[in-house]
Amino acid sequence: MSPHELFIEPWTIGAWMWRGTLAASLAAVPCAVLGVFLYLRRLSLIADALTHVALPGIVAVFLMTGSMEPLPMLLGAAAVGALASYAIENLASRDGVRSDAAIGIVFTALFAVGVILLSTSVQNAHIDTQCVLFGDVLGISDESLLLLGVVAPLVCLCVALGWRWLGLVSFDPGLAVNLGLPVAFVHYALMGGVSVATVASFEAIGAILAIAFIIVPAATAHILADRLHVMVGIAVAHALTSVLVGMYTAVWFDLSASGCIVCVGGALYAAAFLFAPRHGVMTTALRRSARRRVASRISRVA
Amino acid sequence: MYPLIAAASGSSVLVARALEFFTFKYDFARDALIASILVGALCGVVGVFLVLRGLSLLGDAAGHATLPGLAVAFILTGGLAAPALLLGALTSAFLASVTVGVLSRGARSRPDASIGIVLSVFFGAGTVLLTYIQRTATTSYAGLDSMLLGNVAGISSGQLLSIVVAAIVLIGGVALTYRHLLVSTFDSVFAASIGVRTRLIHYALLATLSVTIVVSVQAVGVVLVSAMLITPASAALFLSSRLERVLAFAGLIGAVSGALGAFVSYLGEGVATGPAIVLAASSFFLVCMIFGPRNGLARRWFNQRSRSTRQEA
Repeated sequence: MSPHELFIEPWTIGAWMWRGTLAASLAAVPCAVLGVFLYLRRLSLIADALTHVALPGIVAVFLMTGSMEPLPMLLGAAAVGALASYAIENLASRDGVRSDAAIGIVFTALFAVGVILLSTSVQNAHIDTQCVLFGDVLGISDESLLLLGVVAPLVCLCVALGWRWLGLVSFDPGLAVNLGLPVAFVHYALMGGVSVATVASFEAIGAILAIAFIIVPAATAHILADRLHVMVGIAVAHALTSVLVGMYTAVWFDLSASGCIVCVGGALYAAAFLFAPRHGVMTTALRRSARRRVASRISRVA
Repeated sequence: MYPLIAAASGSSVLVARALEFFTFKYDFARDALIASILVGALCGVVGVFLVLRGLSLLGDAAGHATLPGLAVAFILTGGLAAPALLLGALTSAFLASVTVGVLSRGARSRPDASIGIVLSVFFGAGTVLLTYIQRTATTSYAGLDSMLLGNVAGISSGQLLSIVVAAIVLIGGVALTYRHLLVSTFDSVFAASIGVRTRLIHYALLATLSVTIVVSVQAVGVVLVSAMLITPASAALFLSSRLERVLAFAGLIGAVSGALGAFVSYLGEGVATGPAIVLAASSFFLVCMIFGPRNGLARRWFNQRSRSTRQEA
């Protein structure tokens, strides 16, 4: 196989490679940007909950309106997401319920409701469990692509506008409260943003893999970066790199595109975890052994 | 008139199905009931230790992580040989829980994010392998699909046997090492100082978790197995503050949820067992949260009111 066949040809056979890459990038970038703030606030696993509860939100809206219009879907999922994050916080603040257990209790219950509704009441609808769980990047529909095209820039714009608030609330919530910032509003806006980004990317990447798009770029960026804007930049770069490499891998070997993107993202994280210039596990170990060697040489000379 | 008749005949179908279920007319219904009860009890007991150690969502990660192991075992053996699948799932679940520990100890990592990373990357690898299987498999891979949301009605006698053995061995093991588990869960520093091997207990717990998840996945599915570990245990923590009672309550709540879920999914057309069991457990949690004697909402409200009336008097 010549390089031309490998790298250029997928783009020339029909529009699906363009559409898939565009959809995956539009899904990955807002998730990565929002993921950074979730990560910094130690709310990564709320993303696990919010991606799962988007399912009952979508099903409930479908049962009420009988249509798959994108706007009501987004609103429904955002509403269920807000409800879930409120329920989690409420549970976690009580004596007797651990905060991580609260996440697990709430989202599994809502997800179970969603699955049961899906399998009993929505049999003839255009939502199948397989697609909801795994997504289908290469077969993305026009509506979903359009939805992603609207939502992704909107989410990024909102983050840019609320940059100072988000940063301050993430790093020093106490100071933010003292300065009179609407901390609760920022928190729920962030949760709402994650819900909306998740629902918009539902058809492309599915419910469960969306959590990888939220957590893995931020975790990689945190190993490499020391400043907030650098961290967001690295997270976006991580997202786009894994989309491109993942798409190629999926096309070459005829595998699940979203799965491949997630695996490439995981490999990039592993590389950063081991070989990051300052905080990598291997680099730290090498530096330590070099220092020890120097020390033993000095003691021998002395 | 007609809707009424339809409703009456509908409910008579339900009654007939309920009768069928309780008289154990069909073997598969009986097997499903036994499997759900045992899975519920086992998850409830093991979940208590996870929740108390702050590892609730580790079960979620290990549950999702069974998928790549199942897929690899399927590819290697080329079929749905139950022992191979169990072994594959077990290996990858244990690997995932150890990986979470390794990632959490890195210089710049956070335990919660480590759980999320392991969960999603293992699951992503699983989906990739699934597409590979769908493309190449000559035999049916339908059994793998049912692992996602669980299908207790289709459980084989070998799988049932694995659940029975796991439940007896693991619950027996918890009973035998109860004192060590108790002291290392509540005060691991003290436990280490009196010579309890806390590291060994930690890894034994991870292994127990992996076995529990692997046998439970057949009944409740990859996605919802974490609920069976977290929800009955959290409900039981509202009922008592003594560990042995909490364990008993959690096992009981899990078992009853399992029975209810199996029953409801037998009655209702298209209701998967896993979600039905989970919803039963969630309802028990709600009841315990409101009426539980320890930190329950009703009791707290009552205490507050009696305090304020005393102050007025």
